Amino acid sequence: MSIIIDSSTRVLIQGITGKEGSFWAKHMKDYGTNVVVGVTPGKEAQEVDGVPVYHTVRRAVEHKQVDASLLFVPPRFAKGAIYEALDSGIKIIVVTAEGIPLHEMVQIRKAALSEGAMVIGGNTTGIISTGKAMMGFFPYWLERVYKPGRIGLMTRSGSLTNEVTAEIVKAGFGSTSVIGVGGDPIPFTRFAEILPLFEKDPDTDAVVMIGEIGGTMEEEVAEAIGNGVFTKPLIGFMGGRTAPKGQKMGHAGAIITAGKGTVADKVEALTAVGAIVADRPSMIGTLLKQVL
Amino acid sequence: MKLFEYQAKELFKEQGIPVPASTLISSISQLDNALTEIGLPCVLKAQVLQGGRGKAGLVKFVATKEEASVEAERILKVTGKKLLVEGAVEFEKEMYMAITIDPVSGSALVMACLDGGVEIEVTARTTPEKIIKEKIDLAKGLMPFQASNVMYSLGLNKDQTASGSKVLLKLYELFVKYDAELVEINPLMILKDGTMIAADGKFSIDDNSLFKQNRYSFTKDYYKNDFEYEAAQDGIPYIQFEGDIGLMVAGAGLANVVYDLISYYGGTVANYLEFGGPNYHKAQKCMKMMLDSKPKCILIATFGTIARADIMAQGIVDAVKELKPDIPIVAVIRGTGEEEAQELLRSVGLNPLNDTEEAVKRAVELAGGGSR
Repeated sequence: MSIIIDSSTRVLIQGITGKEGSFWAKHMKDYGTNVVVGVTPGKEAQEVDGVPVYHTVRRAVEHKQVDASLLFVPPRFAKGAIYEALDSGIKIIVVTAEGIPLHEMVQIRKAALSEGAMVIGGNTTGIISTGKAMMGFFPYWLERVYKPGRIGLMTRSGSLTNEVTAEIVKAGFGSTSVIGVGGDPIPFTRFAEILPLFEKDPDTDAVVMIGEIGGTMEEEVAEAIGNGVFTKPLIGFMGGRTAPKGQKMGHAGAIITAGKGTVADKVEALTAVGAIVADRPSMIGTLLKQVL
Repeated sequence: MKLFEYQAKELFKEQGIPVPASTLISSISQLDNALTEIGLPCVLKAQVLQGGRGKAGLVKFVATKEEASVEAERILKVTGKKLLVEGAVEFEKEMYMAITIDPVSGSALVMACLDGGVEIEVTARTTPEKIIKEKIDLAKGLMPFQASNVMYSLGLNKDQTASGSKVLLKLYELFVKYDAELVEINPLMILKDGTMIAADGKFSIDDNSLFKQNRYSFTKDYYKNDFEYEAAQDGIPYIQFEGDIGLMVAGAGLANVVYDLISYYGGTVANYLEFGGPNYHKAQKCMKMMLDSKPKCILIATFGTIARADIMAQGIVDAVKELKPDIPIVAVIRGTGEEEAQELLRSVGLNPLNDTEEAVKRAVELAGGGSR
């Protein structure tokens, strides 16, 4: 098994006729993803690699059954496109756009919560159920990076994900699903909300979490482990231990996170509930061997 | 985009939030006029973006002309930036007031506290209940009843609540109008008559909204030095440090980790240049900037999907051919097009590596450092 997406998931691509959209639509299909339909306003009746295109999401879902939507939409139009997908009842939405205005991110998170939808991103490379299907862009053709296996991954960083998955493969493991929650200050889906899915997945034996300095997502994961929501082994790796802080502006950030947010805070919270923290990427493989 | 205090106060004033009388000077010759206009005693405030100005001696209360002259000259010299000359205010109480975002619930968040000042972060850790928080649905906006809730929860009286609510509602208008990620008044001074006046202002505009927020632009004042300023003009994020190794990394997550690894192996970072995203086509330009900054060694690390390894490698190769650098270069360039990339790098005598940690160790050695 895998989480969120597999080869039977019927995928819509919003922005399918663009340069990125058409390029990755083809790759997604080649990988085995069930891309059933695309949307680009004004481009109805076209096809992209055999996938029919409609003007709007509503028109697309009238013709095809859709389980999930992937957005290749510029950041300024992301909010509208997400709301459009939600309006058509789509409950899994992956948003690649980097640079969505902050106040719109706030509203998107709220809308996702109130619709009970899983909106993943923005600013993410997407999600991949290794060997089965992907929504987004992963260099899946690199065998030493994306190999099927029994480790679940969730990550805040695209560039670091390839680094870590390569270490996991080097140690003789592979992945079930890799979920990129994105590098934005307001991830529409948070780590702790992914965790129950990995807990339920019989094919995931352990989870590797790639976090980083800032925010409280890693602490929320520690809380979930502490509450018994997640009981499998979890290895955390977090960047930003020594990187000098940027110019700090005001106190509000520190007040909200009070006692959380630094890598040291996160390490403390995770180890207190029995999770394991890797100091360096090269340790992740060894640690996995120890816990499995 | 962080605004300087004087810009924040300009916005406060326009919106009707009271601020002390002030004038901005950029050289000591303007001080006399400023003092005549503002009067004594007054406060001299360096217009720099980092926090902790008071502790760094960059905010000074001065009572005489002589004192003002000595302190103004010193602060101007230390910072090289503008100086705000501001009238001193007699107040009864101080409070903290801020609006920012709450990423978990997807709301704006008002925070207020009567223990204002520089110790507010201590309060947040030790007695968080003293900080009153109110979530705001951006679709509805801040309602007047919410503002009164905040003020009465703080224990303010009727008059203070009226003026505090007024300030908060206006601050929220600014928060929305300017797509702020943070607006903060600390301290907001409460005067004897119950009115309030914003003695400081922090204002940060969301970078992703700058396409529609063009009132302020990134002037030279925003950058530590000419290098950082020039890089920004080319759209290349660049940060200068004090160490030995020049870092070119694609992707902030990987950059953080490479920085950590360099520290772990006992090395130091001279500067960091981000050449992922749209910058991967600018590898040649990036290399030139790196070489101009004269680090002891350059470390290039990438693991890209869209940012193609072969294109980045080509830029590096072009730069090496053109500039014939006499400092060692360590390259660990992987991801899409990595085989071609490695061939390209070998063609100019570079020895491409595959493992980030190995590359970091090599770079630290070549820079003449290392403790592990």
